[in-house]
Amino acid sequence: MEADELKEIMASYDAKLDSILSLNESSLKKMKLDNTRKQTRYIVILRSIEVVSFGILAIILGGYIVDNWSSTHLAISGIILHIFTLIALIGSIGQLVLLQQIDYAKPIVEIRKKIELVNSHSLLFLKLMLLSAPIWWAYPIVAFDGFFNIDLFTHMDPDFVLKYVIVNALLIFPLVWLLNKLTHKNIHVKWIRKTMGFLTGTKTKKALEFLNEIEEFAK
Amino acid sequence: MKANKKERFITVIDEHKKIIYKIVNSYCPNRADRKDLEQEIIIQLWKVFDSYNPDYKYSTWMYRIALNTAISFYRKEKKWYAKKDFFNEDSIFNLAEKDNDDDVTLDKNIRLLQNFIQNLNELDKALMLLYLDEKSYEEIAEILGITKTNVATKISRVKEKLKKEFQKI
Repeated sequence: MEADELKEIMASYDAKLDSILSLNESSLKKMKLDNTRKQTRYIVILRSIEVVSFGILAIILGGYIVDNWSSTHLAISGIILHIFTLIALIGSIGQLVLLQQIDYAKPIVEIRKKIELVNSHSLLFLKLMLLSAPIWWAYPIVAFDGFFNIDLFTHMDPDFVLKYVIVNALLIFPLVWLLNKLTHKNIHVKWIRKTMGFLTGTKTKKALEFLNEIEEFAK
Repeated sequence: MKANKKERFITVIDEHKKIIYKIVNSYCPNRADRKDLEQEIIIQLWKVFDSYNPDYKYSTWMYRIALNTAISFYRKEKKWYAKKDFFNEDSIFNLAEKDNDDDVTLDKNIRLLQNFIQNLNELDKALMLLYLDEKSYEEIAEILGITKTNVATKISRVKEKLKKEFQKI
């Protein structure tokens, strides 16, 4: 069967629908149209909580850096955490902006992209988590100092610290390579798809797969 | 005023009911999901009814909203059987029974057509629905948000696929 024949079937189907399809007006009138199920409301609340939390954390860390400016290791650790917090904050603000832009009356490709970018938000946290692996020491240093007033750094052997910094610095290269690979554009690669699925869950993996499909479709 | 708005809305839905009906049938293979999707589309249309942009045709506006809603609906992992009130809900559309010999052949062909469309991915499904509905390439491009050239390329690819599919039958 050719496409033109299918068009003919569709036209006959159309004509048939004209004679047999009718609107159930009473059912439509009964529908509570104003009582809409806001699918995005839950995500907006979640992202707003993220923005507020990261915002508060950024302020606290800002204060921590100022207070410990004279102590280099504490200031550096604070700055590292502050940078990660700011990236997460910007990511969450970006999500709120995307959510505000979702309007179903806009073209399909544009809207689907935005929706799937919202659905794949956890990829940002995965990337931040991986990126913070070589400098994970910044977390306990700031946490112990902030919560228990214990400066872990002064209890460490300087030789050990030096080796640790070197080893972790070397880790940055493979991590940057991995982070570059972990995008929706590479989702067709089996090990990347599996890694994403394992680390971020099925929902994010599916969103990334569809995002790739949309981009291919729009090419 | 609100009653007037609802009347206008019902008139628009009535005039374009085939669009919703065909989209729902193409994106939902089971009856329960169809009712749900019908309602979801109606609700989305009502939500943005006031902000309708007269620069576009009603059909373009309706296609965009209905297709966006259908794709979102399709991508959700739905558990329709968990819906308690399914059997109590009325469908928004009525289909009169009117079978004669011609209809039997037509129904067979329609089922074939629906099966073909249902087997396409979400985006190709939208593209093919618009194409088979005799929309111009320009209008398809406008609804989907891709270029006219891209529409032509995609359609010829789906046509090829279609040819292969039907050769198997």
